[in-house]
Amino acid sequence: MDALRYTVKRIFLMIPILIGISILTFFISNTIPGDPARLAAGPYADAKVIEELQEKMGLNDPVYVQYANYMKNLLQGDLGNSNYSHQPVMEDIKQYFPATLELTFFSMFITILIGIPLGVISASKKDKAADQFARVMALVGVAMPAFWLGIIFLLFFYLKLGVLPGSGRLDTGLTPPETITGMYTIDAILTGNWTVFKSAVIHLILPGITQAAVTIGMITRMTRSSMLEVLRSDYIRTAFAKGGSEKRVLYGHALRNGMMPIMTLLGMTFGHSLGGSVLVESVFSWPGLGKYAVNAITYLDFPAVMAVTILIAVLFILVNLIIDILYQVVDPRLNYD
Amino acid sequence: MALLEVKDLKQHFTIKKGFLGEKKKVKAVDGVSFHIEQGETLGIVGESGCGKSSLGRTILKLIKPTSGDIFFGGKNITHLPRKEMKELRKDMQIVFQDPYASLNPRSTVRTILETPLIVHGAGNRQERMKVVEGLIDKIGIRKDQLDRYPHEFSGGQRQRIGIARALTLNPKLIIADEPVSALDVSVQSQVLNLMVDLQKEFNLSYMFISHDLSVVQHISDRVAVMYLGKIVEIADVDELYRNPLHPYTKALLTAVPLPDPTKKRDRIILQGDLPSPINPPTGCAFHTRCPAATPECKMETPELREKAMGHWASCIHVHPEQSTKTKIHIS
Amino acid sequence: MLLELNDVSLSLKRDGKYVKILDEISLQVNKGETVGIVGESGCGKSMTALSVMRLLPEKAKLEGVINLDHEDVTSYSKRKMEKIRGNKMAMIFQDPLTSLNPLHTVGRQIEETLILHTDLNKEQRKQRVIELLNEVGLPRAEEIASEYPHQLSGGMRQRIMIAVAMACNPSLLICDEPTTALDVTVQAQILDLMNHLKEVNEMGIIMITHDLGVVAEVCDRVVVMYAGKIVEQANVKELFLNPKHPYTKGLLESIPKLGVKKAKLGSIPGMVPSPDKMPQGCRFFDRCSSAMEICKGKTPPMSSVGEDHTAACWLYEEKGGEMNGSSGSEGLEATLHN
Ligand SMILES: Nc1ncnc2c1ncn2[C@@H]1O[C@H](COP(=O)(O)OP(=O)(O)OP(=O)(O)O)[C@@H](O)[C@H]1O
Ligand SMILES: Nc1ncnc2c1ncn2[C@@H]1O[C@H](COP(=O)(O)OP(=O)(O)OP(=O)(O)O)[C@@H](O)[C@H]1O
Ligand code: SF4
Ligand code: SF4
Ligand SMILES: [Mg+2]
Ligand SMILES: [Mg+2]
Repeated sequence: MDALRYTVKRIFLMIPILIGISILTFFISNTIPGDPARLAAGPYADAKVIEELQEKMGLNDPVYVQYANYMKNLLQGDLGNSNYSHQPVMEDIKQYFPATLELTFFSMFITILIGIPLGVISASKKDKAADQFARVMALVGVAMPAFWLGIIFLLFFYLKLGVLPGSGRLDTGLTPPETITGMYTIDAILTGNWTVFKSAVIHLILPGITQAAVTIGMITRMTRSSMLEVLRSDYIRTAFAKGGSEKRVLYGHALRNGMMPIMTLLGMTFGHSLGGSVLVESVFSWPGLGKYAVNAITYLDFPAVMAVTILIAVLFILVNLIIDILYQVVDPRLNYD
Repeated sequence: MALLEVKDLKQHFTIKKGFLGEKKKVKAVDGVSFHIEQGETLGIVGESGCGKSSLGRTILKLIKPTSGDIFFGGKNITHLPRKEMKELRKDMQIVFQDPYASLNPRSTVRTILETPLIVHGAGNRQERMKVVEGLIDKIGIRKDQLDRYPHEFSGGQRQRIGIARALTLNPKLIIADEPVSALDVSVQSQVLNLMVDLQKEFNLSYMFISHDLSVVQHISDRVAVMYLGKIVEIADVDELYRNPLHPYTKALLTAVPLPDPTKKRDRIILQGDLPSPINPPTGCAFHTRCPAATPECKMETPELREKAMGHWASCIHVHPEQSTKTKIHIS
Repeated sequence: MLLELNDVSLSLKRDGKYVKILDEISLQVNKGETVGIVGESGCGKSMTALSVMRLLPEKAKLEGVINLDHEDVTSYSKRKMEKIRGNKMAMIFQDPLTSLNPLHTVGRQIEETLILHTDLNKEQRKQRVIELLNEVGLPRAEEIASEYPHQLSGGMRQRIMIAVAMACNPSLLICDEPTTALDVTVQAQILDLMNHLKEVNEMGIIMITHDLGVVAEVCDRVVVMYAGKIVEQANVKELFLNPKHPYTKGLLESIPKLGVKKAKLGSIPGMVPSPDKMPQGCRFFDRCSSAMEICKGKTPPMSSVGEDHTAACWLYEEKGGEMNGSSGSEGLEATLHN
């Protein structure tokens, strides 16, 4: 009950934040030089056509009227038409966003699976060989630029060994599964199409690992320092004084306490992966939101830029909310109020 | 005329519980009145969270009082403008509990002691150095140690430096908030002795805050006992320790373990812990733990009344004529 | 004899090199006896306790013999040590808030000891937890078992710590400043409880504290430590009425006593030397008002200065006790008997 009330409260609190973000993006995109009407009309349009177009697109209205109109449409699910792809932005997003989301989920999955255990081992075997190894791995991961690592992977696994595909989301010749979530792996499971599923997973591996390389490094280090901090605390000593074995103390007492800062970092990384996957998407020709956003910016496609910005903001806030709620679940001291 | 006089002083903190949460009030200091004479030491004792530190900080106006009046040297300073208050701070200084945290680790002792003089524009460098050197001589630190940093000193030495810093501007009143609580006994006694000596030399007044009843007895002329933001008893030190009137004071005194294995006392063991100052009990705030409580205590809020000459207590069941019969012996 | 430490020394690694923290500590604890360890901050009280529990920091070098029920536990394997920790010997720490896991209910934390050391089934464990909570004087035991540490007051938390320690009826209980973080009225409750439990359970207790009042109140025998060494041992009455070592005397003189108003307190000049700069000879030398030439170069041996009373000080070496020391302690006795 308390948890529910808290969540509802938090969701209501999102509204002013989102309005703030939309205003900010809207006005910033409006002050950027460049005329969307001219771009939409094409290079050979004459002044008259452009003027008409400006009128039609509402570009001559005062900015706040334009904003009000935009928000009105937004609430009806209408994000406007892309000036570049000439179809509703909503359609574009439906097409590109699931690809990015899928890639992000996959890379987060790898991050958690590898990063946290590596960090725990690092902390419990502090300064021993395992720790040194994890330290070097983490450093390499963090220090290596993602696109560069991606290219190396491509060269090695795709061009040289040919064991993994280097671009796209599916093998050529396969038709994507029926769109339910838009994420191929999940849709394939839902429709029971195992050939597609296998192909989708194989295609995720290289971009997923590339994207995860940085975050694994960060999570490993964070887990290590957080665990070391916890291992120094008095209640760990108490746990040992009760006769608990190292393993029991580590996993029964320390890990859950050490998870707090890790959860925050995970949330942040998730947001970053969503918004910042453009390089990885380019290297692996992944048809995701990152690439779409770059195009939108290049062609001053305001409706698209606005939509992407607001979408990412909403996701960021949502992820934060989920993390906060998880905090409350894990830590009884934060009693919703 | 008393040097410091406090009348019905209140310090209510508003705390927000959770975000968007409703506001609650912590009545840290709730209607406290007392005075301190020139050259006198008033001890303030009470358990953790009863409002001792808040009282000290409110008197120094480090936090704004919620209501009530503070008189210093006969002048009402409750609403003094900032500039005049700064001038007045020369006369009222504070010494904190933690000798580690209260000295800037990146300043030498010389700088630490000189800074208050500079802030108040006292003398030229040479004159300031004379003051500083005179002070450290009194606190038993050598001249050649002046350019060292706080971490190069022991806890006791650091606390003595803290005291010296409070003394640089020749104050009349020092509010010492648990000045010896973080120190070992052998070092604690050094600091206490120093404080007594300095008091004699400069005719200082102390408001000495501590939870340690033995220490307070040692240094105080008069003692006030606080419980949940209120003074429940105040009297001359000998009178208070020999003839405590309030049930809480009695319990406190018998609870202190005596460093003498040949003395066994009947102890009054209180049930439970200090209630939260957010929702203090009705009536007499002590009634939830008081061994002498009666149903009336829940309804009636006792006031601090003079029960014997200079001996004030706030308990509806202590009557002036009865006061001599309730003696308890602690030694 | 329940516990016996024989020439126990401990070195810890600090800044890359080993520093001797404890130097040839020898002490005994009998069944049903409470032995106090007193001394200033940093003198090695906690390290002595942690050596017995073998909860030492990494890379600790422990030498000497620690007999628990006539078995040397220093040679025990990790696994074997885990078997007796929390079972045959238990420990209570200073700060009850930080010593309890904030994310587990207190019931679960008490139960953990039972899971580790008994064959009780879930139902029986639950019973025992309630029983223990009642034993340590907590009302509404069932409710409290499902609460978290932050929901309880300091005194209640320390009672929980005691319940955790008492869960398997240990024969040795080590308390490291169990009441230092508590208010006096709550301290009185806890000391009362501990005295009661001791009578009921016949355990040996090591009571570490810097509060001589607590020592006088609950201990049968006292060990005084200074700079990693034991300097005096005696039964509690003897120690307070007839202290021999100048350090013990200094300590006793520097505490203000309730009911005794003195103009000036005694004090010990200077400060405790740090473990990596231990002076040769008597470690108390540069703070001692009775220091002699011999003290500077040679470490004073522990010698008998009375019945069940030993001290390590050159003042008592040749004369076998009284003579030299009495002059120094006169002033103190006068104050004590006030
Ligand atoms: N700035 C503040 N905001 C809100 N509450 C406060 C604030 N300062 C103190 N309090 C509360 O006021 C009460 C009195 O606190 P205070 O620090 O004065 O107690 P104290 O007697 O000095 O205790 P201690 O012996 O632990 O130092 C406590 O309940 C404390 O939580
Ligand atoms: N992990 C550690 N590594 C190195 N030295 C340590 C460590 N822990 C403690 N020491 C040192 O060991 C010495 C003894 O410490 P110990 O904690 O036993 O003192 P104590 O008598 O319990 O003091 P207190 O009254 O402050 O608790 C101190 O000099 C301390 O600095
Ligand atoms: S008024 Fe009642 S409850 Fe309060 S102290 Fe007196 S007897 Fe106790
Ligand atoms: S041996 Fe010497 S220096 Fe040490 S305590 Fe005895 S008299 Fe003092
Ligand atoms: Mg305080
Ligand atoms: Mg200790």
